[in-house]
Amino acid sequence: MAVCAAIIGKDNSPKYFTCINPDEELGFQYKVLSSLDVVEEKLNNGTKSGSDSRELYLGLLYSLERHKIYGYVTNTKIKFIIVIDSTNTSLRDNEVRSMFRKLHSIYADNVCNPFYIPDEPINSKSFDKSVKNIMSGA
Amino acid sequence: MSSPKDETENAKLREKFTTPTNFKTRALFYNEADPCTDLENQLTEFVNSLFWVLESKRLERSREKLERVSLLLAPFEKKDFVGLDMDSRNNKKRCTGRMTKHLGDLCLQAGLLSESITYYHSAAETLKSVNDWLWLGAAFEGLCASSALVLYPNIQRNVSLHRNASLPEGSPKRTNSITPSVGTVRRDIINMLPPDEISKKYREAIIHYSKYQNAGIIETEASFKAARISVEQSHSLQAASFLQNVVFINLTLSEQEKIQRFETLSDLYVQIGFTRKAAFCQRLAATRHVSPQNPTPNWNKCYTLILQSFPGHKISLDPTEMCHDNQPSGWPALQIQLLQELVVAAKRMGHSALATRHMTFLLQTMWLHLSTSEQKEFAIQLQSLSSQCEGAPVPLVLDSGIVIPPANLSNVPVCLGFSLRNLQPHLQPRKIETFKQDIGPFLFTPIKFGTLERTNNKPQSKMDFLWVENDVCEVTLKLVNPLPLELKVSNMRLLTSGVVFESIPETVVLPSDTPTSLTLNGTPKESGELEILGYSTHTLGVKSNCRLRYMSNFLPSYSIEVIPILPTMEIKTSLPQSATFSSLQNFENVVTSASISLYNGESTECTITLTNNSHVPIEMIEVSIQSVLEASLQDQIFKWSQENLESQLPLMPNGTASLTLYLYSAANFLTSGFGPTELSSGVFGSSHGSSSIMSMSAGPSSLPSRLNSPVYSAMGSSFHGARRNELNSSFRSSNSGQSSMTTAGYRSPGALTLPQHATTAVVEGQLQLRYSGGAGFQAGYCRSCSIFITLEMLPCLQVTNWDVLPAETSSQFYLVLDIANMTSQEMELHYTPTKHMLIESHESCRIPVPVNRCPLSKLTKLYMDQNSITNNHLDLDKICSDHIANLVDLRWQLLSLNTKGKATLKGITLTPNMLDIVRMSPLNWEVSINGDFLKPQEEINCDAGDCLSVRIGISNSLEKPLQQLVLSVQFYQDHRNGTHNYKLETRVVIVGCAKKVLPILEPQSKAWHACSVLFLTPGQYKMDIKCCTPDHSTTNSSVVGASGHSWRYIPVVDVNVNI
Amino acid sequence: MDDTLFEFIHSEIVNYVVDSNIRTKDEEEDLSNLEYIGFSVGYKIIERLTREMPRFKDELDTMKFICTDFWSAIYKKQMDNLRTNHQGVYVLQDNEFKFLTRMSNGKQYLDLAPRYVAFTCGVIRGSLANLGIHCLVTAEVQNMPACKFHIQVQRN
Repeated sequence: MAVCAAIIGKDNSPKYFTCINPDEELGFQYKVLSSLDVVEEKLNNGTKSGSDSRELYLGLLYSLERHKIYGYVTNTKIKFIIVIDSTNTSLRDNEVRSMFRKLHSIYADNVCNPFYIPDEPINSKSFDKSVKNIMSGA
Repeated sequence: MSSPKDETENAKLREKFTTPTNFKTRALFYNEADPCTDLENQLTEFVNSLFWVLESKRLERSREKLERVSLLLAPFEKKDFVGLDMDSRNNKKRCTGRMTKHLGDLCLQAGLLSESITYYHSAAETLKSVNDWLWLGAAFEGLCASSALVLYPNIQRNVSLHRNASLPEGSPKRTNSITPSVGTVRRDIINMLPPDEISKKYREAIIHYSKYQNAGIIETEASFKAARISVEQSHSLQAASFLQNVVFINLTLSEQEKIQRFETLSDLYVQIGFTRKAAFCQRLAATRHVSPQNPTPNWNKCYTLILQSFPGHKISLDPTEMCHDNQPSGWPALQIQLLQELVVAAKRMGHSALATRHMTFLLQTMWLHLSTSEQKEFAIQLQSLSSQCEGAPVPLVLDSGIVIPPANLSNVPVCLGFSLRNLQPHLQPRKIETFKQDIGPFLFTPIKFGTLERTNNKPQSKMDFLWVENDVCEVTLKLVNPLPLELKVSNMRLLTSGVVFESIPETVVLPSDTPTSLTLNGTPKESGELEILGYSTHTLGVKSNCRLRYMSNFLPSYSIEVIPILPTMEIKTSLPQSATFSSLQNFENVVTSASISLYNGESTECTITLTNNSHVPIEMIEVSIQSVLEASLQDQIFKWSQENLESQLPLMPNGTASLTLYLYSAANFLTSGFGPTELSSGVFGSSHGSSSIMSMSAGPSSLPSRLNSPVYSAMGSSFHGARRNELNSSFRSSNSGQSSMTTAGYRSPGALTLPQHATTAVVEGQLQLRYSGGAGFQAGYCRSCSIFITLEMLPCLQVTNWDVLPAETSSQFYLVLDIANMTSQEMELHYTPTKHMLIESHESCRIPVPVNRCPLSKLTKLYMDQNSITNNHLDLDKICSDHIANLVDLRWQLLSLNTKGKATLKGITLTPNMLDIVRMSPLNWEVSINGDFLKPQEEINCDAGDCLSVRIGISNSLEKPLQQLVLSVQFYQDHRNGTHNYKLETRVVIVGCAKKVLPILEPQSKAWHACSVLFLTPGQYKMDIKCCTPDHSTTNSSVVGASGHSWRYIPVVDVNVNI
Repeated sequence: MDDTLFEFIHSEIVNYVVDSNIRTKDEEEDLSNLEYIGFSVGYKIIERLTREMPRFKDELDTMKFICTDFWSAIYKKQMDNLRTNHQGVYVLQDNEFKFLTRMSNGKQYLDLAPRYVAFTCGVIRGSLANLGIHCLVTAEVQNMPACKFHIQVQRN
């Protein structure tokens, strides 16, 4: 399903980053980073043009030859990015949306971890495990 | 066309560049340096002629019959139409449509927007009906372009022409001649696309293009154009989606074209504010420049592009901006990779200074994000890079004009502590408080406005101590080497501003991960305010200026006041150094010490040599002593001559001066004179010393008055054992009535004890030397150092008991002293100029010292001072005590050691009865028996029944009258068991008055009283003659002792009545 | 059940903070610790409470959320009134503020009321801060158990 997932903080610095193949991590980081422009643009447009774009899920940010990048921004301006392999055409938009929902849910849980300081990078192993589960579509 | 001036030169040029005759071209020549006044006009003309060419072409085409035109083909279309029936209805339409589109192009190129829109619109209609997708797309594109030109006449023209100042004023303005004015925009053109439609049509066009494999380049171009229009419309997302499409177009491009494509993309992304996207494309372009597929790798361009991508990756070239916490943080993993790529590019460019700089930057700014192994790896890389070109803290300027700010390594090594050190205590400058007096009357004090407010706002970074010009000053650093390898840091200096400061470079080798302290030294060369900004290092081949401002946990800078130059002085003493210092005292500025042992009463000299070891003359030296002693005692022990020292000033550089310190072991030679408080406050070690002294304690005891003449009672042989009791009893038995009255309340008589534990007292003092000279002296500063002096005071001679006895003459009395030799040496004691005696070690002896009585003249003041209500008894006591102390001179010598000393009786205490003997009596007695004057100590012998006529005369020696005196004669018998019998009515008859009242006795006048005595029975009688003042006397009772004081004729007269 | 627990733990926290202040002697009661505890709680809880919420249109929309869903989630009731001057000042009024309802309605404990509203001020401030609205929150109690929360948005 997803090949890469990232959580990006209010200040646009990475808080959590994972991908299926660790060797590709840097390459994905470039891609995810460059997708933030679209995220910001969508957020700006959202506030301008009113009601229909008030969903947290931003949908497809952009697609590359091999990957599709989806975005989701919480009310607290935490950005979730999921990268999907383009060859996986069977994946529906709703499934991506539900992946983000789950991601948001475990993120909110992680914030409740007394040892987690908001806006710090996430190093929790259990969180990592949960994200991997979501990415694999479980 | 050439300028008319240089005809000959131009003729030559023209010859060279003459165009062929068949060309209708005109060549224009301009000399490099010449003004080209008509250039713009010429260009305008050129553009105009272009228009006419196009216009003529358009007119030519538009006259053609649309039905007859041949099929226009794109180059790759040719094979598609092979063997097709060109005359079919469909193809006819296709031909017409394509030609209409072409006409639209010509109109557009000729600037006829409204016509072109009409052509494009009809072309689109026609081509759509025949499914000619490629040309339909082209028609849509043309329609969009024309509409956009109408809507946004200034599109892509926001970059205005930069006019050189050299262009003449009168040259035509570009806006007038080229740009269509906004007024020409017509929004009523039919079929013109509204803004929203433009991007839709573009999208359609792109979709149509994408159906053709070979139309990739057109599709790419259309995407760019669409993006540009979206930019103009401020539809960033729309622009982004067009740009995104470019990536998907499958094109076989050369590396150069690919690079160009990425650069165009990044350029457009920048325009829509997608800096990260732009950076992404820039980086891709950069990698293409040096990819293995690229036949002409270009590291310079790669470097430039990576540098351009930095803002998008939130990298600032100035390390100080990267370190700020509030800066939006980028993505460290990517930043590290980019910086590494930059280092490689710089290296491949052959610019090793840049490579070193960027590696330093990487290590400095990304330190926290690097793993330990990466830190080590990069440090080693830096070392090898810097071996090519050393890093220095100066900005590097690239050919492109970009300035690379310096990168300083403040993480290698890490500085954990930075503190300015005060000078050594003995070198610390101190303010001379009294100096102001020397400035004289023309003192100018500038008025400082608002000083009150400003003093409160003093920054914390200001040191509260001072440094001195030309003195070596220290700053202590605590450094840690975070690398897992040994690190050599050389050329460490302090960075300062303000006064000139000469920093001494230090080199340190830091082991891994071990905090190391390092002291950086330097010398201020001027006086004034010095600011310490940080320190410089040279490590891993990189020179860095580590400024505290950019380092966390430090103030931006520290400032300290440097005062003008002051001399320094070296001090030596002639005495050996002390072994230990007392911990009780504050001896931080002690530079040397001296110690000596002296027997009490002994004195010695200590020579202190002062050497000026600076380059400034010493103009002032002040000596003072500090100890916990009472001032008077301190002055006795330590003496020196300030005048002698001052006569040796100024002390020039390398000159020496000497100061003699006189030490005297001033102790209390009396067992009980110094009260416990005085001792404990005065002498160090008194806690044990005094206790032993106190144990001997008690006041003065009266020695038996029965001693008629001075007795040289050498009782020193043994104070312990059997003889003691014997002595005691004998003393008691010899107590006279007089002594029993006086000694009653004091102590058991004759307790001649030798202090058992008389211990050594240690006196410690600091001789403070305040000295100054040169400019620092002018500025009111001096230095202060001190010599620690330990004086061990050994017990020597001790007066354990004392008493006074009347002497043979009324002008003198005997002071009887019990003197103990506390030393283990034999002592020779001189107690009068002529008399001396030897005292064995630890033995004691009794000596009588004849002393002149205290003359009344010394007491006059007391008698005269009627109003004095203070305790005159104590004053009297003190006067008499001082009188004795001044007259009695006890000189001792320890024969075996050949040491001499002098003991004083200062502080001797006296009882009221003693006082009567010590001072001259205010009344002079003249007693005669049967007409013969009675001599002192004389006994009267007579027979029972004899009548003795007693005549008593008293005269007043005071300078004031005495009032209400009662003169009386009384007889009694002493039973020698402590009881006196006064009931002698049956034995003695007094004829005449036994008492006489004298109302007033004027000064120097005499009064007489006479009576007769008849002894009825034989025996031993005593005649007590006394003169009393009445109890109620208020006038001067205090002066003469207790109220109702009585003076006796001393001694009591013994009368032996025989049968 | 968990309401009660929340109230108990809140009152214990208030006691704890107030007690530890007495130890360090203060003239005026320092409730900043209490407010900070609230801030941290608000900052974290808002992540959970806005999980299913659509993005807020604007500041006022956010305030409305605070008055309704947010307040219901914490205090099981909605705010009774919301007023604004449209220049960054919002007054949220709760006529029966939970932490004040257990006390006498008279003037008896009016002096102590700040202790019981400080935490909530912090919660509001923390929540809004995480939503990107930086503000000052103060509370005003005139008649127990009503409480007005003044929110002053800081723009810079």
